[in-house]
Amino acid sequence: MSADTLVVQELSVALGGTEIISDISVSVESGELLGIVGPNGAGKTTLLRAIQCTLPATQGSVTVEGQPVERLSARERGRLIASVPQETRLSFSFTVEQAVAMGRNPHIGRFGTADETDHQAVQRALEQTQLTEFADRPVTELSGGERQRVLLARAFAQDAPLLLLDEPTANLDINHAINTLDLVRTVVDEGTAAVAAIHDLDLAARYCDRLLLIADGELLAVGSPESVLTSHRLKAAFDVETVVSEDAATNSPHVTALSSSDSDRC
Amino acid sequence: MDVRQRAVGWSLWLAALLAAVITLAAGIGPVSIQPSVVIKSLLNSMAIPVGVELSSSAVGGTLQLPAPAVRWHSPFAYSINATHETIVMRVRLPRILLAALVGFSLAAAGTVMQGFFRNPMADPSIIGVSSGAAAGAVAFLVVPVAIPFGLGLQGAAFAGALLAAFAVYAIATESGRTPVATLLLAGIAIQAFLGSVISYLQLRSGEGLRQVVHWLMGHLGNATWDDVAVTAVIVPLLFGVLVAYSRDLNVLLLGEEAAAGLGVEVERTKRILLATSAVITAAAVAVSGVIGFVGLIVPHMVRLVVGPDHRVLLPAAALAGASFLVLTDTVARAGATEIPVGIVTAALGAPFFLYLLRSREVHEL
Repeated sequence: MSADTLVVQELSVALGGTEIISDISVSVESGELLGIVGPNGAGKTTLLRAIQCTLPATQGSVTVEGQPVERLSARERGRLIASVPQETRLSFSFTVEQAVAMGRNPHIGRFGTADETDHQAVQRALEQTQLTEFADRPVTELSGGERQRVLLARAFAQDAPLLLLDEPTANLDINHAINTLDLVRTVVDEGTAAVAAIHDLDLAARYCDRLLLIADGELLAVGSPESVLTSHRLKAAFDVETVVSEDAATNSPHVTALSSSDSDRC
Repeated sequence: MDVRQRAVGWSLWLAALLAAVITLAAGIGPVSIQPSVVIKSLLNSMAIPVGVELSSSAVGGTLQLPAPAVRWHSPFAYSINATHETIVMRVRLPRILLAALVGFSLAAAGTVMQGFFRNPMADPSIIGVSSGAAAGAVAFLVVPVAIPFGLGLQGAAFAGALLAAFAVYAIATESGRTPVATLLLAGIAIQAFLGSVISYLQLRSGEGLRQVVHWLMGHLGNATWDDVAVTAVIVPLLFGVLVAYSRDLNVLLLGEEAAAGLGVEVERTKRILLATSAVITAAAVAVSGVIGFVGLIVPHMVRLVVGPDHRVLLPAAALAGASFLVLTDTVARAGATEIPVGIVTAALGAPFFLYLLRSREVHEL
């Protein structure tokens, strides 16, 4: 058994005969945030879904806290992995608190009801995401940023050692994006292991401990943001010329993509 | 407030309402009977087992076996008009209780189907159950020879309902997965196909046409205590299964992938919900014919009042459905000539629903 929370070994996934991701190995330890970066269609979402066993792997294995994910029941899996989906369907006028409480579902037996632990987990998640004052509002009346926080709170309430996030900042303005990643950083610093697919390379570099760069379903590099985000590798992954500098405010790598006319002048 | 408290609170309230509606309905008809007389008739017919006697009886010649005989005690003996007591106990009560059970089943199945399909237009008949039952019943009425195994009208309807539902499920399932959208479309196709079968049989029915039309509009007029007894055993059992899955149904509303991540075995849960709803609907339709609208409108009305949480919604909608059908059936039989209850459910239900729709802010479902 490994000390890492998540261990992915030689994982391949094929859909309709085409290999979407091939031979990816990576592990994530408790208190670490791994960012998955890469171009559109690289297989970022597929990798997350395969970790969660929503898509069956054609080869390789995924273990969370030493347990092979594919052999677990949905309930056991739900106690180990919490996930924040990319598409946020929160219709139905459930209240914020009801929606967040659904994160406790894997912890409650079929004939059981929520106990004190469940209530506390829900209240804590609401506080962490500053949703306490919205608790009784229907989710249908919230703004996009608030809805995103409800999904985060639901995942936090799930109290799982591994947190998966698919493009958590995709539809958010910069304020909500920073706010969301700050929240993720908080639970990670408290000991959760997290994997997030993030489109924005600057945000990924700033918040993640390590980055995993994939293109066409293959792992190109994994390591510290500084070591992964190099012009050479970004050219290979995104097929675009880039300049990587250090951001003056955050001291993390800052990627500037150049258009083809810019690169002529360089 | 705690979910369990809300569920129990609403259920008690609506159960009391149902009891009141039943008592009032039993007094309404060609002969008007006071509610107090209805209650006394009910109490008079109550019997509690007070002991078991063993009496030896000869079985198969020489062998002597003790046979248990239950002694019953009737604690109440009010003196009331015997004719009134007969009317309440023999004529009206079986019909009223059957209406309650059918309304209960249809509303429960409708609630589950609307949540399951995440579609406000879903009702219990959406997976072909009602069309199947109708085809079975009409085939029995028109071409009795075609029905094997000596099934009665109700048996033929029940078998037709389950057959149609299973066909829809089998068509929509591929390698162990049943996408909800495919299920919906397969259901519509099967309904259309069975509709043409029913129309053709109607055309060929000749003398039996009146009976066929009567059945297709839904009727509770021929209710017997046997119908009530059978339904009263099946319905609560299946309803218990649905209630046990009501939290999973809530989570399924978030979408199947999210539900899988939140500990729901999605395909298994869908199979159980579908099968249970199909059987509970089939049981209702088999004894009553096709009664539209209850399974569509009642869940919506109750959802507007108690909210979308199925742990509260499901029992509340089922009990409200029972009251609703008892009321509408009372209206259907109260006039000079009895009309099919299906006509009344739509005529009364639609305006009331539109009133709720306008007076409350409705977002989705």
